[in-house]
Amino acid sequence: MKALDIDRRIIFIFVFLGVAIPLMVDFTLPIKPTPPVIAAYDAFEKVAAEKPGSTILLSFSYGASTAPEMQPMARAVLRHCFRLGFKVVAICLWPDGVGLAESVLAEVAEEMGKKEDVDYAFLGYKPGTIAVILNMGQDLHTAFPVDSKGVSLAQLPVTKNIHPLTDFSFVFDFAAGDSIEFWWIPYGQEKYRFPFAGGCTAVMAPDLFPFLQSGQMLGMLGGLAGAAEYETLIGHPGQATEGMRPQSVTHLIIIAFIILGNGMYFLSRRSSGQATG
Amino acid sequence: MLFLTRTLPLVIAFSCGVLAIAIYYVPHSAAQGMEEKLTLWLRIVAAFAYFLGLYSLLNLHWNRIRQHQAGWGYSVVAAVGFGLMFFFAVINDGDGPFAPQAKQGAYQWMFDNVQVACASTMFSLLAFFISSAAYRTFRARSPEATILLVAAVVVMLGRVPIGAYISDLIPEAMLWLLSVPNLAAKRGILLGVSLGAIGTALRIIFGIERSYLGGGEE
Repeated sequence: MKALDIDRRIIFIFVFLGVAIPLMVDFTLPIKPTPPVIAAYDAFEKVAAEKPGSTILLSFSYGASTAPEMQPMARAVLRHCFRLGFKVVAICLWPDGVGLAESVLAEVAEEMGKKEDVDYAFLGYKPGTIAVILNMGQDLHTAFPVDSKGVSLAQLPVTKNIHPLTDFSFVFDFAAGDSIEFWWIPYGQEKYRFPFAGGCTAVMAPDLFPFLQSGQMLGMLGGLAGAAEYETLIGHPGQATEGMRPQSVTHLIIIAFIILGNGMYFLSRRSSGQATG
Repeated sequence: MLFLTRTLPLVIAFSCGVLAIAIYYVPHSAAQGMEEKLTLWLRIVAAFAYFLGLYSLLNLHWNRIRQHQAGWGYSVVAAVGFGLMFFFAVINDGDGPFAPQAKQGAYQWMFDNVQVACASTMFSLLAFFISSAAYRTFRARSPEATILLVAAVVVMLGRVPIGAYISDLIPEAMLWLLSVPNLAAKRGILLGVSLGAIGTALRIIFGIERSYLGGGEE
């Protein structure tokens, strides 16, 4: 049984090398988009075809700890939205999402030649989670009277004609917590009925499959892998695609250790069986 | 006194509970107007909760520093970190505390280069501990454990491009696992949790569950 007790620092070294080396060595892995990601992409395309130039809402419900996983996703979705000609309204339901949302919006808007207040608006953070969603369901201007710079929503070209949530042609939530299943779906999508999709951290993705099947979510991006698949669909490989190299190698290392552990477990069982027999 | 400590809170809980449920489903403009008001109040209360959280955090760390408890140095770092971020938020890149948030400046720099870096590092450390835990716990000790082990390996491989590189069947098997057995289990859990939440809410509304009143003797 002693052979089973590998010092965990040895595993840590392998994981470290599994992350570090693929980051330094460039090789490509074919990324095949999965149905939930394709469904999210198609949902945006469909809305753009039916309501060209309409306004969509992006909700940033994540914080600093999940930024490496969520920022590439937000970047890819935002690129797609701007490319399709949507006007974008962004809000934060997490307090530390503000700095992250601002930087993604500024970066992608500059890259795509979009102007603040004309092509997109950032309304900042409001506390209250479900209460904010219920307020927006009735009137966005009540929930967010001014944008993050203090300008009234009635004066902003992007938001002046948007009132209830149903005025948005699409709502997308970037979630690192339970904002999709416990905030947006019960108090937003179910109550006011608007097209909705979301992106979440990899650990949360299995929790959201029931909402995909029920049609309450039109599509889903799960973790960095989901972001990489979305980057593939929009034909703009970025950080998420790069992140698939270390993630793939690390998963292989973990699987190798699991196989090693089981091999040694069966060997130790056999030897202890022979000893007692 | 019994009226103030027990009857009145029960009446308030009952009235607010029934009202909140009713206005959620009634589409009449009066009900919708009331919902708007109530949710606004809720947001104001939520905002004040931040002050409570702040007091609690600072009080906890101040006591640790004052009493020189184990690891009090970390409390100093937490207090200094708060003080610096608060100071930079007030300065607000020279625009003052009541001007709209500056997009550059020391506050944003601290957020990007300290908070994001530290929080991401903490979250990333999970990868190391999960790897070690996976090695130690995923053992085919029983048929159930073997099923869990095989499912975990398939999902781990299927979620990354290398899975499809090995065989197209791996991502398909991963999707089947997530869309069928996982979905069934998650839906069952979700229904159970929701029914439990409804049951607890009804117990509070109708005064059966009274532990929130405090006292403890009941």
